[in-house]
Amino acid sequence: MVEPAFGPFLFDTSAESWLVRSTDPAVQRWFARYLSLHPVHVSAITVMERMRGYAMLVSRSAGERRAQIESARLAYMDGPGKVWPIDAAAALIAAELAALLPHPPTPPKHAHQIRESHQERLVGWRFDILIAATALVAALPLVHNNPGDFEAIRAAIETSPERFPNAGPLNLIRTLRLAA
Amino acid sequence: MERKKARGPKTGKRRTTLTLPSESLAAAARIAAARKVNLSTAIAEIIDEGLRAKAAAARGGQVLESYRRAFSGFTDEETMLLDGIVLDERADR
Repeated sequence: MVEPAFGPFLFDTSAESWLVRSTDPAVQRWFARYLSLHPVHVSAITVMERMRGYAMLVSRSAGERRAQIESARLAYMDGPGKVWPIDAAAALIAAELAALLPHPPTPPKHAHQIRESHQERLVGWRFDILIAATALVAALPLVHNNPGDFEAIRAAIETSPERFPNAGPLNLIRTLRLAA
Repeated sequence: MERKKARGPKTGKRRTTLTLPSESLAAAARIAAARKVNLSTAIAEIIDEGLRAKAAAARGGQVLESYRRAFSGFTDEETMLLDGIVLDERADR
């Protein structure tokens, strides 16, 4: 278990929603305790990914369903207590990472009969790089639900430290470890 | 005749009488002694910490409620979209 008092942490996009949607009482207790101690820190990239999702759902819906999605979108904006911008320092780290790791280390995600296009997969990968860079600049551990991608980023930083001067190691925490 | 100097800003303190459990009072006295402050100061700080913790817990509860409203009522695929994962291609292509 990761003691909530050790926070604050920066939450990756899918980690943030996983914590809210989890039906595991231990995870629910962990998140409630975390929120009583710290705000949820996210990257501006997470807000962008999330808002794009709401916008796409709104554009596909109508009537009462559209109003429900709009209401959910507004409610989300009361969630994150601290949104970290992509500043020059984060951009520099992300640029190095994108040059070192130009291709996503894992295949496109899929569900049932549909999957991410290669273009979407590349976009998602670059967003992950920007989120990891944000965590490094903020000097916060990154809580994630995506070991395949973030471990590759961590390993790249560890094997090429000269390309990331003044940036500490990327500390990763898997969501499954939080309350276990 | 020189006027009396005005008093400084009010400290916002009030004298009152409280009835506290003996054990709590003894514990507060131990904290005061350890920190070399008087009992009133120690109890004021303990109350302040408790009030701040209660306010933080209330804020956390409000944030959690907002988050629940933000993510409820969506299918798995819609949730993936909200997580930035856009499934836009048939898998057999």
